[in-house]
Formats: sequence, structure tokens, C-alpha cells
Amino acid sequence: MSAAQADGRAARREESAVERLYGWVDDRFAISRGGRHLLDKIFPDHWSFMLGEIALYSFIVLLVTGVFLTLYFVPSEHDIVYNGVYGPLRGQTVSEAYASTVNLSFSVRDGLLMRQMHHWAANIFVGSIVVHMLRVFFTGGFRRPREINWMIGATMLILAIFNGFLGYSLPDDLISGTGIRIAYSILESIPFVGTYLAYFLFGGSYPGTAIIPRFFIIHVLILPLVILGLLAAHLGILVRHRHSQFPGRGAREDNVVGSPLWPAFAAKTGGFFFLIAGVTALLGALVQINPIWLYGQYYPYKVSYAVQPDWYMGWLDGALRVMPSWEINLPGHMVPTIFFPAVLLPGITFGLIYAWPLIEAKLTGDYAEHHLLDRPRDKPLRTAIGAATFSFYFVLFGASATDVLANYLTVSLNVVLWAFRIACIVVPIVVFPVTYKICREIQETPGAGSRKRPNIVVRSAEGGYEVVPSEEYPGYVEREPDLEPVPVEEVDVVGAMQPEQEETPEGIYRIPRVFR
Amino acid sequence: MLLRVLRQAATPAGVVVAAAALAMVLYPPHGRGAGAQGGGSTGRLAAPALVDKTSPSRSAQLALGRTLFDENCSSCHGIDAQGSKLGLDLRGVGAAVVDLWVSSGWMPLAQPTIEPIRKPSKFDRQQTEAIANYVASLAPGGLPIPKVDLKGANAAEGFSVFALNCAPCHTITGAGDALSSELSAPPLHGLTPTQVAEAVRTGPGTMPTFNSFVISKQQLVDVVDYVTRHIEHPDSPGGLSLGGVGPVAEGFVGLFVGVGACVLIALWIGERDRHEGHGGGHGGGQGGGEPAGPGERLAVGAAQGGVPVAVQSSGEGGVDA
Repeated sequence: MSAAQADGRAARREESAVERLYGWVDDRFAISRGGRHLLDKIFPDHWSFMLGEIALYSFIVLLVTGVFLTLYFVPSEHDIVYNGVYGPLRGQTVSEAYASTVNLSFSVRDGLLMRQMHHWAANIFVGSIVVHMLRVFFTGGFRRPREINWMIGATMLILAIFNGFLGYSLPDDLISGTGIRIAYSILESIPFVGTYLAYFLFGGSYPGTAIIPRFFIIHVLILPLVILGLLAAHLGILVRHRHSQFPGRGAREDNVVGSPLWPAFAAKTGGFFFLIAGVTALLGALVQINPIWLYGQYYPYKVSYAVQPDWYMGWLDGALRVMPSWEINLPGHMVPTIFFPAVLLPGITFGLIYAWPLIEAKLTGDYAEHHLLDRPRDKPLRTAIGAATFSFYFVLFGASATDVLANYLTVSLNVVLWAFRIACIVVPIVVFPVTYKICREIQETPGAGSRKRPNIVVRSAEGGYEVVPSEEYPGYVEREPDLEPVPVEEVDVVGAMQPEQEETPEGIYRIPRVFR
Repeated sequence: MLLRVLRQAATPAGVVVAAAALAMVLYPPHGRGAGAQGGGSTGRLAAPALVDKTSPSRSAQLALGRTLFDENCSSCHGIDAQGSKLGLDLRGVGAAVVDLWVSSGWMPLAQPTIEPIRKPSKFDRQQTEAIANYVASLAPGGLPIPKVDLKGANAAEGFSVFALNCAPCHTITGAGDALSSELSAPPLHGLTPTQVAEAVRTGPGTMPTFNSFVISKQQLVDVVDYVTRHIEHPDSPGGLSLGGVGPVAEGFVGLFVGVGACVLIALWIGERDRHEGHGGGHGGGQGGGEPAGPGERLAVGAAQGGVPVAVQSSGEGGVDA
């Protein structure tokens, strides 16, 4: 036994079993290098960068609760006689899909909680994607080099909306069945190919018996896989590009100021995950969602008034409601009313979302790379366009509740409908100049957005008054940021030992970010 | 069977029985006081001539009904319920109609020009029945106040009948909703079995009348059972029901409570108010608006040019300049 071998043995003996196992794996896969790269990724601390994480974590909640639900859900339209615990359904002929959903709500321990958590998490998932997207839009986070990641995000939004629709259609209840009926008509409305598409998707004419099994496999397998793949790409590109950031406090185009993934950001984001899961669990436990036992089995000849889709389809439903009944009669072919709000509108919407990075670059001539984000007020035109467009969809979203609003405000339904028809044109026209003007005025206001300092009014002995601005706040010291480099010695032990990297100073590697 | 009936009808006694039966069909007993409700008079022909033979309690009830009618209803509906410019002719509408409109608080109106709305009834049960029976006693026609016995009701059948006939306007949860123009379907919560049966059979306002050809006697009992006992689901699981108006309310909660809470959490654990040119000395890290201590640690990501400021990882991840 040579001396070197003996030293190696002695060194190994000092390592713990975990360290030795890690070393064994690392010798073979070199996970330390890439792993360290990941662990030291810097995340800016600003709260608005955590909006996408809400979507990520609610997606995890969706996966976990969804797996639970698939254990009990039967994706079949086969008719059976309900014989479960819920009295008003006992003896009714229902589909296996409906019966199994009611049974998993009432007869499976925690089943209803899981169902409601799943549904609430879906609402939060799509909502947080929209909020995240608004943040990226208004701060210009989609500009070069992040155009592709913006488009991947938009694709995930579309898929999330679709998957939500498929998911709430699965229980085969009265309300979602009406939604499927509408979806079938929307498909049919597409000129020339619509009927074929509808037959293809439904396996024949409406309603058929194929739709629930098909929706099921798309909902639980295909779309989640695609979303997972896109999510991996989204995050991979995020790591590749490094994080964008707001200017200030030492932030420059060529660096990232924030906390490293390990340990600071991991602790923060891990806690964030549990808080998001907690919000979902609280909503699932305390607030009823989609009580299908009240709705009953869907039959094409039964219908309930006041049927709306879930909110993320609401803007489409609202567009259907406010659209006047105009048809186009081509020779030998009629394009029905619903084609315009339900096919053309979403087509234009998502086309614009996809193309916006290219449109803006073309309009401004700004093809440069940007890692520092804009403040919305500094780009008043973009902010105004975004706000006006968003207000249009928000009005459409409100229009999906015309009947509920008319009922609660005790006004005529027709009045509410006409109010929305006018509002979806007028509101964006008003929002645009108002937003533009507000942006301009904030720009011109010195100290806008910074912490306000209270004025203290002091009364003197003579009875006069004097206004004294207070200290900004107790203990405030104006100082330069105390930026601390990530220590290298601790972080890249394995990499530093490797001889081929010695051309750079030991333990120090440049991380370039400008890709040209 | 039919032959036997015909043969019996040929005898003098049969003629009397058949005539009575025919009269029963053509002129069903219409709210002659307690007898009509209790079924006491249903076996006999309740002809106007029998009014004199009413029991003292029934005549007392009719007297009470007359007093209440004169005080509360006659200003619009006329002193003999013959109607006026302000109110409908109530002769022959039957006790069920009057009972429904009075017990639901729709009538009497505060002013003759306003729309009827549901409110606590002005009268107690005894007074309401007195008014209804008094109005019914003025002219033949209409239905008596129905007596609904929920024993033997089948809630599942009632649910099915409800989904087919009632949900298209009242919504499947019975929450009610605005229909086209000024019309609306009222919520079905907090109703008595008698009111539900009266509404189904008499069709108040723009509501269609569902007679026994559409909803059979047993189905009526079933649907009354479903509406009065199950639709509100006092023990419905799952938490707050959000008014039973469906996905609109759920969407608002999902967006403004769900996403809102998540964004507030992000605000709480993320960094706020960092601004350009603000000096940037505060707000670092998890403390939110707290001033940063001198030891606060921030990290800088990448370096520019050849001046390494900080390090993140091995060079593999980046693209070399």
C-alpha cells in the first residue's frame, strides 16, 4: 500500500457517509459544477418577481391534489343508478363520472377538501399567470433577449385556460355540461372546418359518449406534461438569461443584485410555497366551490339559468353576451355570430400577445438587450396601451356576470347588457389617455413613489405655527449599498481542484451576460 | 269497468252521483274556509247555497277575512274584489292565489304603483287564510289552499323535476336571477311547502302554471320536498356557499381573495419600496420596509469586462463574451 493510498483512505475516513456518497456521485456525474452554478443564481429581492412563483407553486398543488383525485374519479359516461350517501340523488340515473365525483366528495376521506383545493388552486394558477404576465408587460421584461420566454409564458397561459376548462367539465354536471355544449357550438362556428373539428373532438355528434374519457386523458396527462415541459424551458431560459431587475442599489445591465438561491432565496421561496399551499388549503376548507351535488347530472334537455364558466373563460363568455347578433352570409356558407367573439377575438388576443415583443421593437426601433426593467411610468405609451387593452378584457370579464349583476342591483338585464356593450368600447378609450397622463405626471413629480415624510406642525410659545419635515424614519442612514460578493472559496471546492480551469484566477469565474 | 259505470249511471241514483262528479270536475271546491283546506268539504259539492250552513268558526273566519280585506286590499281591488284601475279583479282567482301573494309579502303593496317585492308578511297565518278564504267565497273558481304532506316524498324525483321545470329560471341552486328585460325569478329559499305548491299550481306573475298534466300530484310533493328541505342544504358541506350564484362569485373569490392573498404574501416576504436614486440603503431582504442593518448582506451577480466583482459558479453556465 503506497503512502498516497493510505492518505486517501485516511481522508475518506474523516468524511461522513453522506459526503462520501456525494463524492462518489459527483465523481461520475460532476454535479457540483452545474449545481453550484444553480445554487448561486442570484434572485432579485423585489416582491414583484415572486408573482410567477405563485403560479409555479399553485401548479405543484394542482399536481398533488390532482393525483389524489385521479385515484377516485371514473372517466366514463356510462349510465348507472346513483346509490351513494347523498339523498336527493339516490335513485337518479347518472353517469359514472358524475357519480364518482359526488362519491369522492362525500365518501372519501378528505376527498371534498382535495377537490376544492384543486379547483381553487386552478383559479389561483391562471390568475397568478395573468398577474405575472402584467408585471412582465408593464416593466418591459419581454424585451430582448426574453422574447421567446414571453411567448412560452403566453403558451402556458393558453394551455392553463384550456386545461381549466377541461377540468371543470369532467364531473359531467349540469353547469359544466352546458359549457361543453357551448364549446361544441363554438367549434362548429369556425368556417368550413368547424363541423369536422367538432366531430373529430367529440367523436361524432353532440353529446356522444366519448367526450369525458377524452377530456380526462387530455386534462390529466397530455396538457400537464406539455405545461411541465414548457415550465422547464421557462425556468431554464430564466437561469440562462439571469434575472432581470429594477435599476437602483447597484443594479446594472451586467449584474444581478439580490440573494443567492442557496440559502437565502431557497428559504424565502420554500416558505412562500407553504404559504401558497396554505392559502389554497384554507380556501378549500372554508369556501365552497363547484358544489356539483346541487347541480345534478347533465342532460342535454336540462338547463339552469345563471350559468357562467370559471373566471378565466369569463371574458369569452362576456364577449359572447355583448356581441350583437350579426352574421355574415357568404354564398352558400353562413358565418354565425359566435365565430367573432369566441374564435376571432381570442385569436387576435393571443396573436397580439405573442407578437408584442416584435411589434414594440419594430415601433421603437429598440433592438438592444435589456436586463434592467422599466418603471411603467417611464414608458407611458406602452403602459397606456397595456392598461387600455387590459381594461377592455376586464369589461368583457364583467359582462359574463350580466345576469348576476342585474339581479343584485335590481335593474333590468337589458340595461346591464347595453351598459357593458357601451363600456367595452368607452372604457378603453378613457383609460388610454388617463393612464398616459398619470404616467407623465408621476414622471414630473419629484420624489414620486418614494417614502413620504410626515410634516410636523409645531406651535411656538408666541402662538405661531411652523411646519418641520420629520426625519425620514428613525435610524435612516443614506448610504451606498453594501454589496457583498458571493464567496467563492466555500462554493466551488470541487471545481477549483480541477486543473483545466487554472487559466482563470483560482476560484473566480466570469459570468458574462451580454451575449454578443 | 267502463260499462259498469255506464250501467250504473242509468239508474236515478247513478244520475245524481254522476252529476255530482261532473260538477266536482267542472267546479272543484274553491276555498270555502277550513273545510276546503282540511278536505272536509271535498267529498261534497260545495255549492254557494251551502254558505248558510257554515260553522260558526267559519263564518267568524270569513268575517275576519272581510274586515282585513276591506282594510288592506279594497282600496285597489275594490270593496267586493271586483277590481279597479289600480288593482286586478280578484273574483274567482281562488284561495291559493290570494294566500301565496299575501303570505309572501308581495301584497299588500306600500303604493299601488310599485313592483311587488318579497317581504315579511303583514298578517299571521290565521289572518292570511281568512283573507284568502273570504276572497274565494265571493265567486267560484280557482284552487283552494293546497295541503302538502311531505311524507312519502321522493327528493331525487323532486330534484329531477326541479332541474327540468324550475332551474331554467330560478337557477339550479334556487338562488334566483334576473331574466330578460325587467323580469326576474325570485330566490326560492325560505319558502313554506304551501307557498311552493301554490306557486307551481297558480303561476304567479310571469311564471307559467304547472298543472297536474305537467307535474303530477306525487311529483308536486317531490318537488316541494326538494325545494323546502334540500335546496338550501343547511348542512351542505364545503364551507361558505357564496350565495349559490356559481362561478361568478367563485371567480371573484379566486381572484381577489386567492390571488390577492398570494400577492400580499409576496409583498410581505419580498422587498418593497426600492427606488432608483433613493440611496437604496433600506428595504434589503425579508424585512420589507425595515432599514437595513449595517451587516446586511447582499450579493452581486456578475462582473463586467475583466473586473471580477463576484462569483457565482463555474464558467459553464454562461456564454463567454
